[in-house]
Amino acid sequence: MAILEINKVSKFFGGLAANLDVSFSVDSSDILGLIGPNGAGKTTLFNCMTGYYPPSRGEVVFDGRRINGLRPDAVCRLGMARTWQKVRPLAKMSVLDNVMVGALCRTNSLARARETALEQIKVVRLDHRLGAKAGSLPIGERKKLEVARVLATRPKMLLLDEVMGGLNPAESEEIIGLILDIKKLGVTQMVIEHNMKAIMRISDRIVVLNSGEKLAEGAPEEIVADPAVVQAYLGESNA
Amino acid sequence: MKRSIGNLRGIAALPVLLRIVAAVLLFLLPLIVTSTYALHIMILIFISIIMGSGWNILGGYAGQYSVGHAAYFGMGAYTTLALLQYRHIAPWYGAWAGVIVAVLVGLVIGSICFRLRGPYFVLASIAVAEIVRVSALNLKDLTNGAEGILITEVPPLAIGGTVITDFTSKVPFYYAGLAIVLAIILSTRLVQHSKLGYYFQAIREDQDAAHSLGINLSLYKNVALAISAAFTSLAGSLYGVYVGFIEPGTVLALDLSVQIVMLAIIGGIGTVWGPVIGAALLVPFSEALRSNAIAQALIDSGLVGETSRVGSFLKEQLSHAHVLIYGLLLVVVILFLPDGVLGFVRKLAAKRTKGAA
Repeated sequence: MAILEINKVSKFFGGLAANLDVSFSVDSSDILGLIGPNGAGKTTLFNCMTGYYPPSRGEVVFDGRRINGLRPDAVCRLGMARTWQKVRPLAKMSVLDNVMVGALCRTNSLARARETALEQIKVVRLDHRLGAKAGSLPIGERKKLEVARVLATRPKMLLLDEVMGGLNPAESEEIIGLILDIKKLGVTQMVIEHNMKAIMRISDRIVVLNSGEKLAEGAPEEIVADPAVVQAYLGESNA
Repeated sequence: MKRSIGNLRGIAALPVLLRIVAAVLLFLLPLIVTSTYALHIMILIFISIIMGSGWNILGGYAGQYSVGHAAYFGMGAYTTLALLQYRHIAPWYGAWAGVIVAVLVGLVIGSICFRLRGPYFVLASIAVAEIVRVSALNLKDLTNGAEGILITEVPPLAIGGTVITDFTSKVPFYYAGLAIVLAIILSTRLVQHSKLGYYFQAIREDQDAAHSLGINLSLYKNVALAISAAFTSLAGSLYGVYVGFIEPGTVLALDLSVQIVMLAIIGGIGTVWGPVIGAALLVPFSEALRSNAIAQALIDSGLVGETSRVGSFLKEQLSHAHVLIYGLLLVVVILFLPDGVLGFVRKLAAKRTKGAA
């Protein structure tokens, strides 16, 4: 069953169409990979879905509810949470406090928030860093912190924006394991990623964007065989 | 082993004991110290702690650097004194009316200014405070314009016919100030150890991240502003009744807004005790400058001859330079003590324990 439906979503910045009539849906508990060259409109689509930009046209239906036009905090409380391409740690707060901020989305009690936070920090294996200031973490741990923090908001759906960007192969491997663990928890995920090997491995389905429009959609093996996709990535002469 | 644990406990218990002793001393101070000048300085320090800590909730915890807090200070002072002078409503009721006015106007200001971020918010907060000041100058029926309000008498505070105080000495102002100081310190601690504190700090650290984690930005910023405006307004009411005269040029001035921010920044923002330390340092310092005590001390110590060029220059000019020196002090603190005096002391202490271990 589709938990998310995107119907003809367009976003214009002046005359530029960052997204143009993009439509697809995501099934519950699936991992959908969102790929495309730089500037294809992937992050813009995330922003339209999570309330940072209102879409210029079209609608986003999440869990049976139309959510475009809602504020980001309302979207989060409905159960759709996102991470950021450029990580946004709450620098002067500790790792534990960062994740507690996420957990406080569902409770007013600090004690209960702490419990949830500790759980999620264990999931991403950052338990040895509880008291460290978020601003002092290296990039790999910042990415994990970001994931723990959104998980603590107890999302039904998670949007991950290049969580493997800037990580070395070993760290990427850890994140892949983490994404698959999250899938087991029944959380639907939509993943923007440039690491093709990784995205092919984890995705149930893939959507390819190019210049704001949907270029292709299908299972990973269909996508790699699609001539239009190959052309978009490698250019005319190589096709 | 056992002994060292006992020692550790002893050390941990020390600050609590110190705090209790300090609190008792503060309560007994007016009985011990009879100098009205000393009490006067203490009352000024209390007023500064209240306004600095009030600002700290919005600026220090939620990270919204308002440089227009004189507006709330002035609204408290004007509401209380106008009610007292023209409607004969006692200040201990008027002060609450002041709080209500400041919070309501604050929420209107907040819902407009909080759309802006960073430097734009700072500029908007200054602009709005200036609008309030100019309005006070022109709404002569309410505020008596540039002439200000001079209160002629404060009714005695009585419960069931027994007069508790008639406000002729400084002592009742001392206790009123102390009570509000305790209230704001307690409130700040409560905020810090609650969902509010976590949300305020998240907003301070990164608004977009906070928003994506389910935090309603405008709601929580306005909550911070309401708490902040309420206490700043109380500081204004206390100041107005204590000094007995207010005018837009003092209680609504940009000078005052800047001073409020400095109390917190110099002490250490985003901490419970920062503004307390800031006030305890800045008030006596500026008082010493104003009363020329510093120039006199330099001369008395023999460092500077009274009749020498430097000596006579200092004696004549230093007291006029207190704003300049204040400004230099701020520059020094921002450059060298970015976490304020409290942050600096804590860092030193942390280094020491690290060195010892």
